[in-house]
Amino acid sequence: MTNILDDYALVSPLRYRNNWLKIAIVGFGVLVGVSSQSFIPPFAIALCMSFATVHFGKTSLKFYLTILSAPAVFVLLSVIIIAFFFGSGTEIFGFNIFSYHLGVNTGGLEMALLVFSRTLSGMSCLFFLALTTPMVELFSVLKATKLPDSFIEISMMMYRYIFVFLEVAWGIKYAQTVRLGYKDWRTSLTSLAMLSTTLFIRSWEQGEKIFISMSARCYDGKLIFFEEKRPIRANELVLTCTYFAVVLTLWYLTRINSVF
Amino acid sequence: MILETKGLKYSYHDGTQALKGIDVKIKKGKKIAFVGKNGSGKSTLFMLLNGTLKPKEGTVHFHGKPMEYDSKSLREIRKSVGIVFQNSDDQIFAPTVYQDVGFGPTNLGHSKEEVDELVEKTLEYIGITEFRNKPPHHLSGGQKKRVAIAGVCSMEPEVMILDEPLANLDPVGADEILDLLNELNQNNTTMIISTHDVELAYSWADYVYFMNEGNIIGEGAPEDVFKDMELLKKSNLRQPRTLEIYNELERRNLATRNKFPTSVPELVHSLKPPELMWIEVSPDVKEGDVVNLGILHGEYAINSPYEAVNAKVLHIHPEGHAIAEMTRHGIKSGGIFIYDMDKYDAVPFKRILAEEDIDTIGAMGKKSKSLADKQLIDLQITSGVIDKSILMALCGKRSMILTSGGMIDHAVKRIDEYAESSGIAIQLSLVNFEREELGV
Repeated sequence: MTNILDDYALVSPLRYRNNWLKIAIVGFGVLVGVSSQSFIPPFAIALCMSFATVHFGKTSLKFYLTILSAPAVFVLLSVIIIAFFFGSGTEIFGFNIFSYHLGVNTGGLEMALLVFSRTLSGMSCLFFLALTTPMVELFSVLKATKLPDSFIEISMMMYRYIFVFLEVAWGIKYAQTVRLGYKDWRTSLTSLAMLSTTLFIRSWEQGEKIFISMSARCYDGKLIFFEEKRPIRANELVLTCTYFAVVLTLWYLTRINSVF
Repeated sequence: MILETKGLKYSYHDGTQALKGIDVKIKKGKKIAFVGKNGSGKSTLFMLLNGTLKPKEGTVHFHGKPMEYDSKSLREIRKSVGIVFQNSDDQIFAPTVYQDVGFGPTNLGHSKEEVDELVEKTLEYIGITEFRNKPPHHLSGGQKKRVAIAGVCSMEPEVMILDEPLANLDPVGADEILDLLNELNQNNTTMIISTHDVELAYSWADYVYFMNEGNIIGEGAPEDVFKDMELLKKSNLRQPRTLEIYNELERRNLATRNKFPTSVPELVHSLKPPELMWIEVSPDVKEGDVVNLGILHGEYAINSPYEAVNAKVLHIHPEGHAIAEMTRHGIKSGGIFIYDMDKYDAVPFKRILAEEDIDTIGAMGKKSKSLADKQLIDLQITSGVIDKSILMALCGKRSMILTSGGMIDHAVKRIDEYAESSGIAIQLSLVNFEREELGV
């Protein structure tokens, strides 16, 4: 069974910290990162968030780098293109291909760096949230946002049964694979169609079964929400404020000295 | 009588007749097993018993009153009759264990604080407090089963119905669930299970119903129904192993007659060829009576230095000559100590272990086991604890059972019953509590 990000979040020690604080930190990071005019604050945010995820959140560094590498590759490709085709200023280096001149100038390079750092900071903020706050914690946050109860209840049940059906799907896939259900393109297509049909029917049946079992426990349209009292500790507050202050200072300084 | 059905019939939309006229009477506080092959109508019957399905014909009576099917009455029924489904995933729908266990109490209209208290109590009782914040997909099959049981327990039902409670569990997981079922029953919950495991029905239940194709084809105490080969054949089942072994031994004249051992100690106890002897009896003794011959020693005691001998009078000749079947019991047998883990105190505990020369320690119930684990107590027995302790005692060994709550009553009762039925007085010591504190 492959692990999903939620599994890491469930075992993270930061899971038991105040959810609102974590969301505030992430929201702050994303906003400052995007609004920054220089690549320095986003880099600082990315560094701090990655450190927090790996050090405080006890995510293994290797795993963290692996998941970060997926968006990083994508960003790197875009950054190269941006560097070559955007911006103006003095050319740093360039070359000719088939009598077509390609070059990187200072403006393009700075823009590329900015895009790269902003993406990185955004990703690391989101990974921080994803790796320290499992869905089960987010439900209580959703509850506080005054979304309709039935919406949250349905999402809670969807969350629960995703895993049940994931297991069913893996089981069916395996059963198909060992009987050569994926030996070529054609059979794969048929097998996949069968898998999805079965899953659909199963989920329909499951729905009926849950309804029976829920009414057997006197279901009358109320679900209990998982709400833990997790007061913000003093040291967390101090650390967060320091972090905010440092990033804001950087942001302010780089704004004035902006080259743009 | 807590639940009763009269001429219950049910058929599904596609016309299959699932139940064809069921009459059952379920007494309060009993352990009932419904036995039958798959598709014999057990699950349908269970859904009728708590009002999930409405019978096409016949009635279900709860506490003597026929069941109504308006939503208010159904609420009452479902509060009192809880169902644990066979597949835990059909039942556990909430994203965390805490939420699922709190689901029932919330629906019963308890306040938030009451729900919290009930859930904490139930989690502690079932021994799953450590999973409270976990999502169900991070639990094993046995753990999920415990959560499913806790979800029903938190509603404090009078009757608990479990559909195939031990299906798909590993042996130790199954033993733990069985312990839990006994404990719940000890706290006066009527337990109803369905199973096709004849061993389970035979050794666990007080009363057994055999179902086949929507009919009850036999019912009675386990020792009565499981000797009926015709009935077993009709229900597509076989005899329990203990009974089968006993029957073969008895046929070869290696075991005493008319015992129906439900457990290994009882089977071992029946393992004695009848020893016959002429005795003189007074005129008021009738055939079939048991006469106490007192304590024999020296050359009359065969197995141990002192033996208590009872004689069952088989046949009386004129003038008081009688043929009697002797049962001998060695007097110096081992002992069983029961220790209440709720009052665990390390220092006196260690002292008792040393003083009493305990050979083996066993723990019953999740709570006691985890406490013993934490205290680094080396447990030799963790499943079938009472039976194994009795076996040890019979071999002259001394064992200690660590347990708590209702399980103590269960253990004491079980050992007393064994002593009574076998005539062997097992030395039973209650270490840190008094017999008067028990509900027995």
